[in-house]
Amino acid sequence: MKIFSTIFILIVLIFSGIAWTNNSFKPTPLQFIVPKGWPQTVYDFKNNSLTKEGFELGRKLFYDERLSKDSTISCASCHQQFAAFATYDHNLSHGINNSLTTRNAPALQNLAWQKDFMWDGGINHLDMQPITPITADNEMGETLQSVIVKLNRSKEYKAMFKAAFGDETINTQRLTKAISQYVVLLVSSNSKYDKVMRGEAAFILPEQLGYDIFKQKCISCHKEPFFTDFSFRNNGITTDTTLNDFGRMKITRDKNDSLKFKIPSLRNVAVTAPYGHDGRFFSLMNVFDHYRKNMKVISNTDSLLQHKIPLSNFEIGQLTAFLYTLTDSSFLSNKMFAPPGYDITPNFIHNH
Amino acid sequence: MKKLFFTSCFLLFLSSLQAQQKITLHFHNKVGDKDLQLFTETYTNKFGESFTVNRFKYYISKIILIDSDSKYYAFPSDYFLIDEADSLSKTITLTTAAKKINDIQFLIGIDSIKNVSGVQTGALDPMKGMFWTWNTGYVFAKLEGQSDASHAPQHLLSYHVGGFKQNENALRFVRLNIGQNVSTKNLILNINADILKWFDNTSTIKIANQSVCHQPGNFAMQLADNYAGMFSIQQ
Repeated sequence: MKIFSTIFILIVLIFSGIAWTNNSFKPTPLQFIVPKGWPQTVYDFKNNSLTKEGFELGRKLFYDERLSKDSTISCASCHQQFAAFATYDHNLSHGINNSLTTRNAPALQNLAWQKDFMWDGGINHLDMQPITPITADNEMGETLQSVIVKLNRSKEYKAMFKAAFGDETINTQRLTKAISQYVVLLVSSNSKYDKVMRGEAAFILPEQLGYDIFKQKCISCHKEPFFTDFSFRNNGITTDTTLNDFGRMKITRDKNDSLKFKIPSLRNVAVTAPYGHDGRFFSLMNVFDHYRKNMKVISNTDSLLQHKIPLSNFEIGQLTAFLYTLTDSSFLSNKMFAPPGYDITPNFIHNH
Repeated sequence: MKKLFFTSCFLLFLSSLQAQQKITLHFHNKVGDKDLQLFTETYTNKFGESFTVNRFKYYISKIILIDSDSKYYAFPSDYFLIDEADSLSKTITLTTAAKKINDIQFLIGIDSIKNVSGVQTGALDPMKGMFWTWNTGYVFAKLEGQSDASHAPQHLLSYHVGGFKQNENALRFVRLNIGQNVSTKNLILNINADILKWFDNTSTIKIANQSVCHQPGNFAMQLADNYAGMFSIQQ
């Protein structure tokens, strides 16, 4: 009889002990705010609750060169805040050991609304995305095993993983969830365009004229509010015979998808040059010339582009004025997204 | 209070009486009737093509035990990676309430839900190398080695099979008969997996014609159809 009560008391003590340890793990929740009028997110926060600790861990990982094989490249090397997390100036992104990738690093913004990733849409979940650049030979060239060994050597990381997830375990899932917590908060919704839409500002005449032209000639693919409809289309781009990148076809193996690439968002387009999946367009003018002159209409070129896009020099001027209103300086200079310990991204981050 | 305590103790005792049997599955990877030896042995397929094996791994999931009343005892959230290089991985233990069973069924590969729900842990950690990063999805089975018949660089033989989407589905169910009303008490099932079936079953696959499979699609599905027949219960 006595032994039963002893066991009972012990069980009670054990359970209250477990409850107590659980209570000691109290990360600070972060709220994800869906801008007014925007749809619900594709990203499911139920599986990865945003916390200050998770976000800070993700930010540290994003800026950490140790994620690459020779500790020279971080995510931020090709995704720079001042370029809306695209790469300033590089047409093709650079990898370790003087390697070149085959594509232009896209801007990272409003990722919570995106259902697939990469120019060809091959990656089906935001949490999956970081694994590709980390392990690709011509990007960071590292193995996941090795990344986790390196992180486990760091007391600071162990403490940060504990703060974010409750214990010191470091695995692929936690690594990628933390990075997602950082990148998912890269929301750009505060450009002049947004302010105009909210009634807080007004377009000047060229911007308004540009917006009208935009609504006639560009908006079917570059749909508001994301300025992309996230679809894959052949826009008359020609094959680069050194890259032989046929885009979406690689994923679907359907020849109708040849040379189809994801429609890029035009938010912050003024700071994300060069343009195109392989960065072949040096300036916005090159892009306009592509659509009005140089594009090649083939059998699966998008139906909206069968006659190219007629654009006068006058219209190009107005369109440019409008596109500049999509620059969101509060996003580009938000201190929250800068490397840990900095207010802005320092120059040395860009060393490739 | 005391009464409640004793009732719960009694209930706990009862539930422990509801006998849970432990079943052990041993996977034996074979080439024909020989036990598979990585790296060192050279084997020959039906078409006279010789080959070596450096790596042989496959996922087993969705195990179901079936009794003579067609009642199912399922293990829906257990995923196992059988890896020839890791002897511990070749033994699976299951705890079940089934008393007598006739058949066992399992899936070779990983169901589509787990292919689209982000990064997983344990046997499903992408770190295990059974994963395509550029076109998200698990590699369900991997056979790697070398063959003089291969026209690939280094005479590589490299079959990575996966694909969960429509028109490229390489998921294959396997159902094996164990016997009639076999008692699950201390049951040990020895399951053979014969690599020779990869080359010759529903399709004829010659290394000389195709020695590499690195993406989902028709060839991956042909390989999957072939290896779906590689399992048998050792008598």
